[in-house]
Amino acid sequence: MTIAVLRFPGTNNENDVLRALSLIDGADPVLVPSRKGLAGLEEADAIVIPGGFSYGDYLRAGAVASVETITEGVRNLAEDGKPIIGICNGFQILTEMGLLPGVLLPNKSARFICKWIYLKVCDNTTMFTEGMEGRVIRVPIAHAEGNYYCSDDERESLKDELRIPFKYCNEAGDLDDAFNPNGSIDNIAGIINQKGNVLGMMPHPDRAYRPILGSSDGLAILENFVRAIK
Amino acid sequence: MDLIHEGKVKRVLQDPDSSERVIIEFTDLVTAGDGAKKEEFAGKGAVACDMSEYLFGYLEGKGIDTHYVKKLSANQILCQKVTIIPIEVVCRNIAAGSFCRRYGTEKGTRLSEPLIEFFLKDDAYHDPLITVDAIIRLELAKREDLDFMKSIALSVNYYLGELLKQRNLVLVDFKLEFGRTEKGTIVLADELSPDTFRIWDSSATSMDKDVFREDKGDLVATYLKVFEEMKKAKPQDVEPRTESIQVIVETKSGIKNPPGEVTKKALERLGFADVKDVRMGKVFTIALKKPITSEILNQLAIMNVKLLSNPISENHKVRIE
Repeated sequence: MTIAVLRFPGTNNENDVLRALSLIDGADPVLVPSRKGLAGLEEADAIVIPGGFSYGDYLRAGAVASVETITEGVRNLAEDGKPIIGICNGFQILTEMGLLPGVLLPNKSARFICKWIYLKVCDNTTMFTEGMEGRVIRVPIAHAEGNYYCSDDERESLKDELRIPFKYCNEAGDLDDAFNPNGSIDNIAGIINQKGNVLGMMPHPDRAYRPILGSSDGLAILENFVRAIK
Repeated sequence: MDLIHEGKVKRVLQDPDSSERVIIEFTDLVTAGDGAKKEEFAGKGAVACDMSEYLFGYLEGKGIDTHYVKKLSANQILCQKVTIIPIEVVCRNIAAGSFCRRYGTEKGTRLSEPLIEFFLKDDAYHDPLITVDAIIRLELAKREDLDFMKSIALSVNYYLGELLKQRNLVLVDFKLEFGRTEKGTIVLADELSPDTFRIWDSSATSMDKDVFREDKGDLVATYLKVFEEMKKAKPQDVEPRTESIQVIVETKSGIKNPPGEVTKKALERLGFADVKDVRMGKVFTIALKKPITSEILNQLAIMNVKLLSNPISENHKVRIE
């Protein structure tokens, strides 16, 4: 079960993702530099787009990476129903590609935010949150553009179709605006596509997979991702 | 053939073979002073036709869209059918004609930069000078159309000027007309001949319709001489005119703009208490390899949506410099 871990020029979380995945039985993560194009994804059964600053975040975060040739391969795998996760800059790339709706705007504070936050996992079961329904997990965020925004229609669809697996909250799981670090609408921290096989999230499960890192809550998300690979 | 329009010196006929094309027929008439002075010169229509054929071809070769399709006979060219925009676009390098009468400028004064002027194409009012705002208020053309026509006029000025310069001739000024095709694109229309340009030789002797306006010699011989010179020039030696356009990307109103907000706070700290709101956007300056055409403007629209702006949160506009 080959998992392609994409690296664009400027991606810098690929080793975190590779290390986290290597702890999971059955996962075979492979680093794929984006310059390999479509050929780089020929063997892939799943994809992770890690965080970082692809192309220096010039233009808009994720915009330049989103038009690379390799993204056509990402699109094909998404259509085939293969599991795909975009973390942080990976989420930004997925929205710029249009695989996920909306856009990640500059944080409300106009600052880069790097801190531990809590996420409320949705009650409904998704491919990536099985066994975690309704729980509160602790993972870090590190971004300047994590302020999720979409049209009112999209917002309604996301809600109605139960496509918001993660929302910012406090330790008790309260979804108050005070616990929204970046200004995202509805405290949105992560969303999935209509098919349910593509997840984009700003927080880093790849930085919370063993207790020594401060939390191992992120591992369950990655385990679900690996289990979903058929 | 059905007559579509009878102008002062040209006739526009319907092409019997295609509803999308017209035949422009050049007559031997020459008029000046709004038709007050009028005369016929044998062979003038043919030379104006030949020169239009030659120059439309030259400009097309440089990437400028025109209505010209092909030459049909000694005094007829086949063109795309367009709706003429009722604005004459004049480009001036050296003061002459109505510009001198209007401002008292001495004839022959070189302007520091080419000047574009717009005139309303309406004989009943003697084709008056018209401002950009008046054109927009009268809904004769949109601002972006005028920017586009201005840019094309400057390109024509460059390409024609450089061609003439090779033969020691000076492009003083000229008038262009534009038309809109059925697809909505704007193309250069009308004719390109010494009826519509002023050309001087190195001693500032007129080589154009001023010969007739001022009764200074044999008009047809002058036109033929200019044409002979033009044909001796080498179009391939004229370098492409590089142009720049700007794309301005702004966050849509109603969407928070944190970079603008922190800038506003900093301005307040500096004591600029009157600043109500600041929004920060981006400007892309894009240099093109060839003159701006309708096709390039279409490409820009695609560029904007595909990459330069995110239509979910941003608006974009194109500015032709």
